[in-house]
Amino acid sequence: MTTVARPPALQSVIVEPLRFTGSGSEYFRIWITNTFLTIVTLGIYSAWAKVRRTRYFYANTRLADASFDYHGKPTAILKGRIVALVLLVAYQLASESTRLLAAALFVLALGGMPWLIWKSLQFRLYNSSYRGIRFGFAGSLAGAYIAYLLWPVLASFTGFLLAPFAHQRIKRFQHTQSRYGAIHFDFNAGVGSFYLTYLKALLVMLAGVAVLGVLFSGALAMVAKRGVEHTSYGNVLAFVAALYAWFFLVIPVFSAMMQNLVWNHTSIGPHRFESRVSPARVLFIALTNLLAIICTLGLYTPFAKIRMMKYRIEAMALLADGSLDDFVADAQARAGALGEGMADLLDLDLAL
Amino acid sequence: MHPTTASPLAAAYFDGVTSRRHRVTLVVEEGIASIVGEVERQCALAELRVSEASRHGARIVTYPDGAYLEIEDKAAFSRLLASTGHRGALVARLQQSWRATLLAAAGMAIALLLLWRFALPLVADMVAAAVPASVEQALGKRVLEELDQRYFAASALPQSEQQRIAAQFAQLASALDGAPPYRLLFRKSRIGPNALALPSGQIVLTDELVRRLGDDSEALMGVLAHELGHLQQRHLMRRVVHATATGAAAMALFGDASAMLATVPAVLLDLKYSRGAELEADDFAAGLMKAAGLDPARLAVALERLAGDGGRSEGYLSSHPATGERVVRLRGGR
Repeated sequence: MTTVARPPALQSVIVEPLRFTGSGSEYFRIWITNTFLTIVTLGIYSAWAKVRRTRYFYANTRLADASFDYHGKPTAILKGRIVALVLLVAYQLASESTRLLAAALFVLALGGMPWLIWKSLQFRLYNSSYRGIRFGFAGSLAGAYIAYLLWPVLASFTGFLLAPFAHQRIKRFQHTQSRYGAIHFDFNAGVGSFYLTYLKALLVMLAGVAVLGVLFSGALAMVAKRGVEHTSYGNVLAFVAALYAWFFLVIPVFSAMMQNLVWNHTSIGPHRFESRVSPARVLFIALTNLLAIICTLGLYTPFAKIRMMKYRIEAMALLADGSLDDFVADAQARAGALGEGMADLLDLDLAL
Repeated sequence: MHPTTASPLAAAYFDGVTSRRHRVTLVVEEGIASIVGEVERQCALAELRVSEASRHGARIVTYPDGAYLEIEDKAAFSRLLASTGHRGALVARLQQSWRATLLAAAGMAIALLLLWRFALPLVADMVAAAVPASVEQALGKRVLEELDQRYFAASALPQSEQQRIAAQFAQLASALDGAPPYRLLFRKSRIGPNALALPSGQIVLTDELVRRLGDDSEALMGVLAHELGHLQQRHLMRRVVHATATGAAAMALFGDASAMLATVPAVLLDLKYSRGAELEADDFAAGLMKAAGLDPARLAVALERLAGDGGRSEGYLSSHPATGERVVRLRGGR
């Protein structure tokens, strides 16, 4: 994928690979126990479950002989979730009634989204630490509105021709405004490289559709010749299901390409990151995970999650130029959890 | 819980101010944890917070000011913790035990089943009952607009026939106290013979269905009575609530694996729900027809005639239960 220019002159650069030590069977136990407690407490425990899960992931992610830690308070997250749930139910009920009200609510929700994402980024980063130094997010609210509302809305008006551009602006906002201690991350991937990655992903998707088209060519020819009604139901259904599964599998492939692009152009101080995820490998893992989840009626879910996480995390490394001992904590600001709870429910993907 | 002197443990100390790693050794004596080495610090055990045990993750001991110790030798650390009487959170111990996990899994299955079987229908009914009539009207109006745009055209039935059917059905409906208010609408359909009940109280009848059953007006009445049953039970509204709730639950359970798979259980459960709804509507229709002096078996005849031409087999994955099953129920006089 994107090649990393590693300056040969700098002898001091040490490759510190990320390690992920989480295990599927252990996460399975955590998942079952926490899901059970969530159900019998009618969802209240879900905030504690989230903290346990996140702490487990963080404690098992190691870099240069130290692990990450998560400090989110369950009660704070619970409050955010309750507010979010009330708003969500109100929105659902109202949007079922009149079109005008639904449209007004949609505009309102759209207008509130950047604020939510902004709060969520603050909460998540502020509550993450490495070597006892907390991360943080310094982006302004205005910046969040430009990145998460202005560009995406403009992109949607151009038939998504501007989508890669909007995506670059979002990632640039996230990665330049994130801090580790007092030091900002830096991000230097240009718009052109985003267009290139989108183009590659599009080609991969079309190639898959073409392969499926050939595989099911018999059924498709039948449809073309005699119309849908006269074709064997099973063949058409299988084709549609395969197409659906393929679109679903393309998503992790795309996010793998994105991970490489974004992290190969992210640095902090003199240190750089490197990500060497193979999209083919991710596709293989996603496909086998999907099959295993189906065959085990969902029980493989936690194993699948750990397997994918392990591969994607361990494909990354920090190219440390000098000692990692010199980061200094910032005068620490607080961050409310409201945005985090809401972002959870709305299923926003804000993973860094 | 007696104070013990355990052997010193190697640890890394991070002060929370810089990212520097300090090599230290940890000793616990008489309720005080002391570290010596590149940093020296003493702290009462009660003020320290110990992270949960996990098989591979490092154990972390956090000071009140955010500084922390990371300990590599987990086995020795566990012995040290045991000697100080530290037991860890109950949930943390549960999730390390396979037996507790299996019990939790069994408990989860039972709890889910009970919730779905008993609590969810109750909640769905309550919510459906609490939905104001105006919302139901608006919802029905929107569904009808959508259907009119995509599938329906104005009815081509002569006015006289429409009036005859409406009058006959009005008479049938009046045979039962508590039959819900309804409005009968006629439409020409692009999706074949059909009849449906909207939450706003409208029953849509397609020309194709009238023609298919045209010579047997009692069978037609049976179909309309069935739709009136859907209205009476507020099936559509309940189904919306039901599907939303099961969808949300499935997403919460399996959502972190894949959004697509998470929808599967919800869809299956929704189909199961609508099977139940069809049977309930049949029962209502049978009751109404009996009250009006008609034979419920006429609805069975209508079902058979409507199923006769589709040719597509109706298996479990169908929103209508197998026609055979319904016909047998109706003929059985239930």
